[in-house]
Amino acid sequence: VPDAALRCRYVLCEVVSEDPRCRQCIEDRAVGLAVRDAIGRVHGDFGLACCSISFTVKYLNAYTGTVLLRCRKDSYRLLCSALPFVRQLESRNQRYPCFLNTLHVGGTIRTCQKFLIEYNRRQLLMLLQSCTNEEERRCVQKSLLSCSLTEEQCLSGNEDDDDDGTDTD
Amino acid sequence: MAGFSDLNIPQGPDKKSMQGLLETAAHLGYSAVALNHVIDFKEKKQEIIKPVSPSELFPSLPVVQGTSKRIKVLTRLTLVISDPSHCNLLRSTSPNIRLYDIIAVFPKTEKLFHIACTTLDVDLVCINVTEKLPFYFRRPPVNVAIDRGIYFELLYTPAIKDSTMRRYTISNAISLMQICKGKNIVVSSAAERPLELRGPYDVANLGLLFGLSEGEAKAAVSTNCRAAMLHGAFSASQNIWELRKNRKVLLCFTSTETGLWALWMQPKWMLCFREVPVSCE
Repeated sequence: VPDAALRCRYVLCEVVSEDPRCRQCIEDRAVGLAVRDAIGRVHGDFGLACCSISFTVKYLNAYTGTVLLRCRKDSYRLLCSALPFVRQLESRNQRYPCFLNTLHVGGTIRTCQKFLIEYNRRQLLMLLQSCTNEEERRCVQKSLLSCSLTEEQCLSGNEDDDDDGTDTD
Repeated sequence: MAGFSDLNIPQGPDKKSMQGLLETAAHLGYSAVALNHVIDFKEKKQEIIKPVSPSELFPSLPVVQGTSKRIKVLTRLTLVISDPSHCNLLRSTSPNIRLYDIIAVFPKTEKLFHIACTTLDVDLVCINVTEKLPFYFRRPPVNVAIDRGIYFELLYTPAIKDSTMRRYTISNAISLMQICKGKNIVVSSAAERPLELRGPYDVANLGLLFGLSEGEAKAAVSTNCRAAMLHGAFSASQNIWELRKNRKVLLCFTSTETGLWALWMQPKWMLCFREVPVSCE
């Protein structure tokens, strides 16, 4: 059990854009930079400094546009209130306008994962209703049946480790 | 739990772009949106035309994310008033005005703000977020407005687009909060393109920046919007409000943290106090 001061919050968001090419920009460096830039614009140097402690993009999926961010529990409000101000993602000199939709804030990766599976299942159900032919219908139904949290699918990596190499002393 | 609503989607000329806005709003989880038709009396003499019919404009409405219902589209009229003579249009019983679901007013001077809060029959009073307020808010008209069930609207899209607007929005919002103590606030988008919309969770977080508490910020996107919609649905005649669409007689309603509560008069003069169900609209 980690020390109360080191507890983190995991923020699950989805990237919404009009241009399908925006998916190319969904990579950890681009998303991390966009979020940090938004925090700096809204909360200034103080906010950026607070949120940078233990801030990282923990997981992302370019196909669904899902992003999982991590930050310290003390500064998650600064992070969440700055997320609406992200307006574009930039990567390799390409920039595409988009925005982030916050889906869920959880204390552990597991709770965010459970939420994401339910969310994706609902999305697949809606997709099923708009299927136009039998082939698509079968594919979607197959994906729906395989939606569950198994041990192997758990995101690898201990939630407690601090990848940024800070030592407690 | 009341669903989320966005009460300000400007009505644009392009049907396709409006459809795109509706689909994005439904994907983000908004159960109801209001198409806003703005009339500014400073420009050439404008007539109040009948509201567009959402069912004609949008043959197929998208389903709201997380539910199985289609998104509800309401009509709203906003009157920008900069002179007391403009209020006469509201006072006159123009038949077209009553056809809109929500009526909002945007007062440009302190005197008009006072008139809007105390006497005009409106549901929303818009607060300027794009420039420094020309007047300070005073407690008496704001308290009267809260008692009358009028809500104050703050827009968030200008704050996202430009940093100077962001400062004005936050200053004006905080000065309003200090007077109204976070009650009766509605936050909406005024988004012209789908990329300007934000999800309800994010809009509630923006409310935190404006000085609202967590509960107040969440209410600003959900229960307060529904209360404003209900306020627009009823016509006040003497002290008893009659629900336009069916025969039940509503005596009063109030918006609390747990939702919207209404006092109904049932047949045979029975009184009952119960929560307004989501489907009652």
